[in-house]
Amino acid sequence: MKKTGFAFVLYILMIISPIRNFIESIMIAHMLIQLPLLIFVGWLIGHFIVEKFHSLFNSWNINGVPGMIIVVFITMYWMIPRTLDEALTIGFMEVFKFTSLPVAGVILFDSWRRIGDLGKSFIFLNYLSMFGLMAWLYIDSPIQICNNYLTGQQRILGWGFLIITLAMALYTIQSVFTDHSEENVL
Amino acid sequence: MGCLEMTTIVDKGELKSRNSMIATYLVIGGAVIAVMMIFGVLMLLAQGGVLDLSPAAFYQFLTIHGTGMIGAAALAAVGLMWYFLRDYVELSKKVFTWNLILFLIALVMIIVGVFSFEYASAWTFLYPLPALSAGAWGIIGALLYLGGMLVLGTGFLLLYIDTGRAIIRKYGSLGKGLGWDVISGKKDVKDAPPATVIASTMVTIVNTTAIVAGAVVLIMNVINVINPAFTFDPLLAKNLTYAFGHIFANAIIYMGVIVVYEILPRYTNRKWAVNKSFLIAWTMSTAFTLVIYTHHMLMDSVMPKWMLIMGQALSYANGIPVLVVTAYGALMIVYKSGIKWDMASGLAFLSMFGWSVGVVPAIVDATIVVNHVMHNTKWVPGHFHMYMGLGAVVMLFAFMYYLAKVDSNLKPNGLDKLAFVCYTLAMISISAQFLVSGAISTPRRWATHFPEWMGPALFGAIAGVFLVIATSIFITHFIRYIIVRNKTGSDFYERKLA
Ligand code: HEM
Ligand SMILES: [Cu+2]
Repeated sequence: MKKTGFAFVLYILMIISPIRNFIESIMIAHMLIQLPLLIFVGWLIGHFIVEKFHSLFNSWNINGVPGMIIVVFITMYWMIPRTLDEALTIGFMEVFKFTSLPVAGVILFDSWRRIGDLGKSFIFLNYLSMFGLMAWLYIDSPIQICNNYLTGQQRILGWGFLIITLAMALYTIQSVFTDHSEENVL
Repeated sequence: MGCLEMTTIVDKGELKSRNSMIATYLVIGGAVIAVMMIFGVLMLLAQGGVLDLSPAAFYQFLTIHGTGMIGAAALAAVGLMWYFLRDYVELSKKVFTWNLILFLIALVMIIVGVFSFEYASAWTFLYPLPALSAGAWGIIGALLYLGGMLVLGTGFLLLYIDTGRAIIRKYGSLGKGLGWDVISGKKDVKDAPPATVIASTMVTIVNTTAIVAGAVVLIMNVINVINPAFTFDPLLAKNLTYAFGHIFANAIIYMGVIVVYEILPRYTNRKWAVNKSFLIAWTMSTAFTLVIYTHHMLMDSVMPKWMLIMGQALSYANGIPVLVVTAYGALMIVYKSGIKWDMASGLAFLSMFGWSVGVVPAIVDATIVVNHVMHNTKWVPGHFHMYMGLGAVVMLFAFMYYLAKVDSNLKPNGLDKLAFVCYTLAMISISAQFLVSGAISTPRRWATHFPEWMGPALFGAIAGVFLVIATSIFITHFIRYIIVRNKTGSDFYERKLA
């Protein structure tokens, strides 16, 4: 319950105009702070919602794969440069952003528990290469991709993605090379 | 026999399904290899001036031949690895099946892309060629091909995640799968992981890396094909492309060699000794394989010099550690063992020979000075046809004969022996033909040759016909095994061989 309350406050804070405008004025904050936080809101209320609609989630997302596919599509959609742009200029897109990402968070919460270790590793490695590609795209692009952000902003975002990619790669390396023999189940 | 007696007795019904998926992997892999050989022969006939093939058709053949050979050999090699690895760690049959399904989907996409939509960038799809074909092919062909490669990569990625997790579950970490705790002296050599686990760990590490890099550059190409306004740094693209292509192609032989580690002990009733130098060799080859793709960049003078020097130095050394310990181990285990030679053991031994001989031209070519002269000549296909055709692919055939032998009562006949000799001579001829072409400065990947370049190509085409025949005999034997086995079931699993 505490979590749900916190999520609610967080969500309201992000909707408040001055805060929202400030975050969205900086490309890297828009993509790498606002969007993940919106997913996080969904994740936080996930427990509450999934509990409430238990049988519904059980009926279509039993092994977590359908849910994970939806999450991948929603997040991929919001990584396309153009969608960020449209969220700023088209009111409806902004609303869609503020609803679809929390929904993705809820589904992620439900799916992540179900999807199993193999699925987790697979999703993780997929995001690793996707973020690597985003880093490359934003750092390297000779053209201004968004109407609302200058190329300088673009490049900073690219470096942000690169840092995330490297962190994920380092995490993978340390996790496969450190000893897991104490843990019986992996 | 020690670890060889690990296999448990299982009932007949389970046995039947135990090997049937593996047999499917090998029969599909083998059949695709045979068909791709035919495209190889057609290319040589065209280069030899006998067959009138349009350049467009030649490049489609080149694309399908390269992609199909690497894909099919990798598929069959995974089947081989899986067969032996499952005795030591717990693998998921579901993932194994999914990899095959995704492979077949990818195969269809790639074939349609190449033949119906005329996609012909060669299997290395080097940026920005997929998008910039000067009208030779359109967006759909490129998307089908690149998408097919992504689907293929997805299947293999799932499989290597599964092997990786299984190895970590059993041995603690991938480092321990490579025996690092033995190297560092924390554990006794006699507790070292078995050779099969070591090789599988190595391949899991390098191929996961390769596929992740490949996914980045494939999707990048997709974006560029859909919207050419998005351009990317071509040098980074080339690095990632070869990090994928070189490693993935290279890993085939490291999966194939498992058959040598597993069957020679069974034939000689001796143990394959895993000692410290064996472990160090595999760790070295793991590291080298990850970085030496840079030998594809020796002509790119904009690359940092240190990377090129590293690429050169390590290319000399790349496969050598594993090759030396394996060839030495194979000789030692066979020496005065009274081994009974048959198709499987003979092919396994031939593959060691082919691998050893095949690295020599590679070492020559990896020298920067020579590379500037040789790199884009047929010397290069000369090297990899030798070590793939006479090394890696032979390991696959060795495994096919081995499986047929232990899992049914089918006996190879005189025709199989004839095919063995025929295959060996024909593959040597094809490799030699490429090397001679390279030595007389014939460029690689040219649809049309000057008359003075045609001789070797024609010679190779004739040898190729014999190679196709020999390969068909190998595969026929294997298909007969599958038929026999479906009729009678299997009582023969893990028959004692010595
Ligand atoms: C009958 C046997 C074979 C014949 C006649 C044959 C012939 C050829 C020819 C003519 C080329 C083009 C050479 C050029 O660049 O001008 C080629 C390329 C190639 N072959 Fe083969 N080949 C055979 C078997 C194999 C095998 C067993 C493999 C690997 C498993 C293989 C893998 C490749 C690859 C990767 C290329 C490079 C394609 C490229 O340049 O993009 N081939 N082959
Ligand atoms: Cu290479």
